[in-house]
Amino acid sequence: MPLEQQTHHLTFMKELFAPNAQPSRPVFATMVGAQLLVLVLLWVFYPLQLFPSLGQVLRALGDLITAQGLIQELWASMTTALQALAIGTVLALVISYLTALPFFRPIAYAATKMRYLTLTGLTFFMALLLSTGHQVKLSVLVFATTVYLVTGMTSVILTTTREEMDHARTLGLGEWRSFWEVVVLGKLDLMLEVVRQNFAIIWTMITLVETLYQSEGGIGLLLYKQNRYLHLDGVLAIQLVILATGALQDYVFVLLRRVFFPHSALTAAS
Amino acid sequence: MTPYFHKEPVLTLEGVSMSYHGEIVLRDISAQVLNVVRPNMTQGQVVGFYGRSGIGKSVLCRIIAGLTPPATGTVRVGEEQRPVQAGDVGLVQQRYPLFNHRTLADNLLLAAARKHEPEAAKREVAAYLERFRLEQHGKKYPAQLSGGQRQRAAIAQQLLCSDHLILLDEPFSGLDVAMIDEVKKIILEVTTMDELNTVVIVSHDIATTTALSDTLWLMGYERDAAGQLLPGATISKDHQYDLAGMGLAWHPNVEAEPEFNRFVEMLKDEIRAA
Ligand SMILES: Nc1ncnc2c1ncn2[C@@H]1O[C@H](COP(=O)(O)OP(=O)(O)O)[C@@H](O)[C@H]1O
Ligand SMILES: [Mg+2]
Repeated sequence: MPLEQQTHHLTFMKELFAPNAQPSRPVFATMVGAQLLVLVLLWVFYPLQLFPSLGQVLRALGDLITAQGLIQELWASMTTALQALAIGTVLALVISYLTALPFFRPIAYAATKMRYLTLTGLTFFMALLLSTGHQVKLSVLVFATTVYLVTGMTSVILTTTREEMDHARTLGLGEWRSFWEVVVLGKLDLMLEVVRQNFAIIWTMITLVETLYQSEGGIGLLLYKQNRYLHLDGVLAIQLVILATGALQDYVFVLLRRVFFPHSALTAAS
Repeated sequence: MTPYFHKEPVLTLEGVSMSYHGEIVLRDISAQVLNVVRPNMTQGQVVGFYGRSGIGKSVLCRIIAGLTPPATGTVRVGEEQRPVQAGDVGLVQQRYPLFNHRTLADNLLLAAARKHEPEAAKREVAAYLERFRLEQHGKKYPAQLSGGQRQRAAIAQQLLCSDHLILLDEPFSGLDVAMIDEVKKIILEVTTMDELNTVVIVSHDIATTTALSDTLWLMGYERDAAGQLLPGATISKDHQYDLAGMGLAWHPNVEAEPEFNRFVEMLKDEIRAA
């Protein structure tokens, strides 16, 4: 190999291991591709005793899709998750913003502590209160989402500095308008980020709730069945599907943030 | 020397004091800024306000801007000399905050909308962008502006909505010589825009501040008759200098004059002695 090319390769390597380095897009993509390839090759050529092989997982996936309606179940779970997220986000935003008024602070505080309630007990309680399975599932999810979101959102609100509020006040905006400008509009992008981070929690919850409350089906129930019959290949296939869905959702949120809050990326350390 | 005289008050501090958790920060500050009039000229006021770091300058700024009520005393502003309310006085804080989620033009428009109809507000904003040499940056977000541009934007934003009085908290700190000259130019620009425009420059850079000002306030601690240091910083009558009366105001290159340098040396001795 000519010397020139060799040093070129060396700078590649350096880029990948230097702290905070910004390797060029193709270099980074190649690196990610190579890492994935190594992972898949390891999987194909060194099968672990317990771990199903790639072929088995793919076969299980095909079977799940054709015979057990994986796609429909995924869709059902996802629409429920999105519904819960939408309702939870609105509730959490309202509760968090109301902390501006001292009267509502205890409520928000109590809401953040509700994270420690166990889901099983809650589901039982909701089942007594509500009539349909869908309602139980949805309300449990809304409850869980709300308390997690309130926790994240109130901490975003607490990042507001006196300097920021004073800036708005010196412009003669008044107390409510200053709050609107600095806390509501000024931090909406961070709120979206809180929602994105907590969406993952919903997926954990939904699979759990679906196993607790089986009448409604959903991908959680499917996963539960695969588990019970020790179909490890099926379990893995479903896990991978959920993982891919989650990654896609994350990406959608990043896109939303870029479109609606172009200033947001500017302040973050890239 | 050009003739000048003082007319009505534009800012009055009456017995202002402040303490936090029982610790006295400011003690009994009384001072006044009068409208300076020079025949055939539009001459605003520049008050230099010196105090060493941590003495309570920013606290006094927040009180003058109506953001924090003082423990005792009142601040009166404007032609009617009514008690100050938040929004009456412009305050450019030390790190020049702007609304990061709005573009520069939007930031200014929001401020201008307070006093103007939408169409007039747009014209005002355009005029200010040009005057502060920001016309190419209107569509940028604050995070995309340089430090100097942010500072000019913050000053413009405050001017667009305040009634003549604007406080600059440490406008020179962290700036290089060229940027300090820029800020000086902006301050002169502001004070020649309107007869009643008044800029209070808070600083611990005594020479730069004195060179720009027609009034100088030194904030410091005083001793009682027994020589004991009194708690809380104040601006005593002896430490309120009428630089216009001393013939040190409004000279373009005053920093080169021996008279000016003697005065600054005297001030430094005064500060060291305290
Ligand atoms: N909100 C506050 N609560 C308690 N102490 C404060 C507060 N604001 C300022 N201080 C105190 O007042 C003093 C003066 O602060 P400051 O006005 O910021 O000084 P500087 O002259 O450097 O601007 C400091 O000792 C600071 O700790
Ligand atoms: Mg300060």
